[in-house]
Amino acid sequence: MFDNISLGRYYPGQSALHRLDPRTKLIAAIVIMVIVFLVRGLWPMLAIALLTGLLILASRVPVKIVLSGLKPMLLILIFAFLLNLLTVPGGKVWFAWGPLTVTEAGFLTAIRMTARLAFLIMNTTLMLTLTTTPIMVADATENLMAPLKKIRFPVHEMAMMMSIALRFVPTLLEETDKIMKAQSSRGADYDTGGLISKARGLVSVLIPLFVSSFKRAEDLAVAMEARCYRGGEGRTRLKSLAYTRLDLLFFAGLLGAGAVVLALEFALPATV
Amino acid sequence: MGYWPVPAFQNSRSMDKFAEIKNVSYSYRQSGREPLVAVNQISLDIPRGGHMVILGRNGSGKSTLARLINALEQPSEGTLVVDDLPAAVEENIWEIRRRCGMVFQNPDNQIIGTTVEEDVAFGPENLGFPPADIRRAVDDALAVVGLEDMTQKAPHLLSGGQKQKLAIAGILAMRPSCLILDEATSMLDPLSRQEFMDLVCRLSRDEGLTVINITHNMEEVQLADQVAVMGDGRLVSIGTPADIFEQIEQIKAEGLDVPAHNEIVYELANRLQIPLYPKEAATWEGALATVRRLLAVASSDAELRKKTIWAADLIRSEQAVRVSDKRSESEPIISVENLAYTYAADSPQATTALHDVSFDVRRGELLGIVGHSGSGKSTLIQHLNGLLRVQAGSVRVLGLNASNNADIRKIRQKVGLLFQYPEHQLFEETVFRDIAFGPRRMNLEEDEVNRRVLRAAEIVGLQTDDLERSPFELSGGQKRRAAIAGVLAMEPEILILDEPAAGLDPAGRDEILGYAGTLRDLGVTVILVSHSMEDVSRLADRVLVLRQGCVHALGRPADVFSDARRLAEAGLAVPRPSAFLRALQEDLPGLDCDCYSPEAAVEALITCFASRLPATEPECPRDGDGDV
Repeated sequence: MFDNISLGRYYPGQSALHRLDPRTKLIAAIVIMVIVFLVRGLWPMLAIALLTGLLILASRVPVKIVLSGLKPMLLILIFAFLLNLLTVPGGKVWFAWGPLTVTEAGFLTAIRMTARLAFLIMNTTLMLTLTTTPIMVADATENLMAPLKKIRFPVHEMAMMMSIALRFVPTLLEETDKIMKAQSSRGADYDTGGLISKARGLVSVLIPLFVSSFKRAEDLAVAMEARCYRGGEGRTRLKSLAYTRLDLLFFAGLLGAGAVVLALEFALPATV
Repeated sequence: MGYWPVPAFQNSRSMDKFAEIKNVSYSYRQSGREPLVAVNQISLDIPRGGHMVILGRNGSGKSTLARLINALEQPSEGTLVVDDLPAAVEENIWEIRRRCGMVFQNPDNQIIGTTVEEDVAFGPENLGFPPADIRRAVDDALAVVGLEDMTQKAPHLLSGGQKQKLAIAGILAMRPSCLILDEATSMLDPLSRQEFMDLVCRLSRDEGLTVINITHNMEEVQLADQVAVMGDGRLVSIGTPADIFEQIEQIKAEGLDVPAHNEIVYELANRLQIPLYPKEAATWEGALATVRRLLAVASSDAELRKKTIWAADLIRSEQAVRVSDKRSESEPIISVENLAYTYAADSPQATTALHDVSFDVRRGELLGIVGHSGSGKSTLIQHLNGLLRVQAGSVRVLGLNASNNADIRKIRQKVGLLFQYPEHQLFEETVFRDIAFGPRRMNLEEDEVNRRVLRAAEIVGLQTDDLERSPFELSGGQKRRAAIAGVLAMEPEILILDEPAAGLDPAGRDEILGYAGTLRDLGVTVILVSHSMEDVSRLADRVLVLRQGCVHALGRPADVFSDARRLAEAGLAVPRPSAFLRALQEDLPGLDCDCYSPEAAVEALITCFASRLPATEPECPRDGDGDV
């Protein structure tokens, strides 16, 4: 039932992108995010598409899997497209019906917004979930935020919570599926019926899910203690983070590509 | 924290005791109530390098004892020394936890890493090993348990058996000296259980690890050199497996199992009133030899011959009273034809769970479905009430089509499906309302709902005042009963039970399986799904064996078990009582070997004994012959 969700699904591999330091990928994801939001023009947008394509190629993750990351966000993408299409004024009016008008500017904005969102999602999942395990992301966050420890911010605890939450996503999805099937067998109906009966149906799934999650949390805490976990103090790592030449190369390439995109954006006359 | 390349046991002082437990007690604080005494004045020495099994009902304090040994809890009274380290000393706690690795019951709730390798590294990381040593420890540990090809795999994609091996690897990476298993195999199928225990025994032998195994499984008990029995937080008995199973009455009174061969011989000697020699039936071979000896004794003098014949007559009259069953010949109520199912059909991860499965379920019968994890059992039963849509083939239930939406609604009211660990589906404020959930969805009158809830509660033995409590306040066994009642209250014509006894202790298991028999006797058609041949064979009218998504065998238990080799192909064994009788077939031609409970086996043995005695005694003619 939930097999198509790629959130938190690591795609094992040994590609260049897999071997990058997670901190590099975390920073790169932020850099790409900023660039994507600065860009408006058609050419720079195409340049970003090219960059995304290159990254996918470098990751050796099948395009189909990267695209499947868009599926859960499909509704939001469609909503963003329609909202912009129907509300943004300006340019030639193509179609009008009551307060709703479809204009040339609206169409272009809609495409731009949707493309931006899509690139954003694709690059972030590629960098941070498909080629990086959640624990590596947590490590990178912990490492980059280490200075905050000085002001007593619980950096290690946050990172640990994050990675455990991600570890249990597939387990809880499986559990949800199981509980829904069990309640369906008792006559619960999650597909038809009004809003109220649907909300009531949700209760029969959420309560068992909460109860079992607490039980899991309790078990896990004991299992962690049994394996000598006692916070971040004195803990070492199997894969201690270290930047390599690959990171330097990647970062230089990314900044170069970013510069080209921004140059295209600001040097070329705006197309809209 | 340092790094210990040498196993700790090699340089310790006292070579005999791994743990010394002296007058240890532990109580749990409970808000607003008296503290619960989980472990009560226990004194016990655990030998170094030994293999100890702890038996006891759920709630007898076994797990608490294990947690005390692992320094996860501190005793409220008494002293505890583990591997020469007093557990009361604060600085020793982490070292004790490192040396005593613990594998828990639920494989999912002890995996922390998002890949196999990350999970194994968790312990050494906590201990502050340098990265190069962690790398070595992880690789070594994974090679020992045989998961070295899966370092990058996500743990949720592993099978249950692999997950438990992963848990062992996580412990080995910390270089422990003791392995504590807290019902670690209770969620595994027989094949994975066997593999897992083989690994444990190998570690115990090759690495000199001390093993403490908390279990209900009789085959695992035979691997131990010492067995401790706990009841109500106290140590009831301790000794070798042979010592312990001498005290059959006492062990059964604790609600525990006894190996089938011990029980058969004990009961047989009892019925024939012939005393047993001490420990003569301790082993399988010993028990077989004892049966032969009993036969010789029983036919040795006239008095004993008479007793045997009486016992056989009694059995014959009892059997005559039991209803003979013709259930397997009644009309089909479910028919499955050429059913096939593939998960994630159009993706590269496509896995075919069922290939071309065809069978019938007949009205009023109890059909057992047996097979290993991954044999397709769950996929199959989910088709029977429309939870999974038919991809190929056809499923007809009570004349309705299970691939038709309108029919599925009706089917779900007639077919009750109880999943594994059904207590996970409880959610209402009171037990009553939870049981009433199903009937209310059927739009019944309130009076009828009431009637059904009370009747269902009565069948599973829930008291009236339990019905007004929150389901989350109940004990584990009570929750299971409430969940079963929730399905029974829908008064289904067909009831499907998926591993209804999983995770229960022997007494709880017998009780829950007993309901399956009761319901069949009430006229409900029951489908019992399990990976335990022993449980299914006792109850089932017919057995369906699934293997890799195909019907491997289907028929009466006697027919299915007659071909032991074919059964072994599906990774299943003939149930112990029947296997025991088969081993005696050469000595006792004509012995009925199709007995799946110790009681039935004893009856078959006595009947066979009597038939081999001279029909009439010259000096004392039997006067009751004509009446029987």
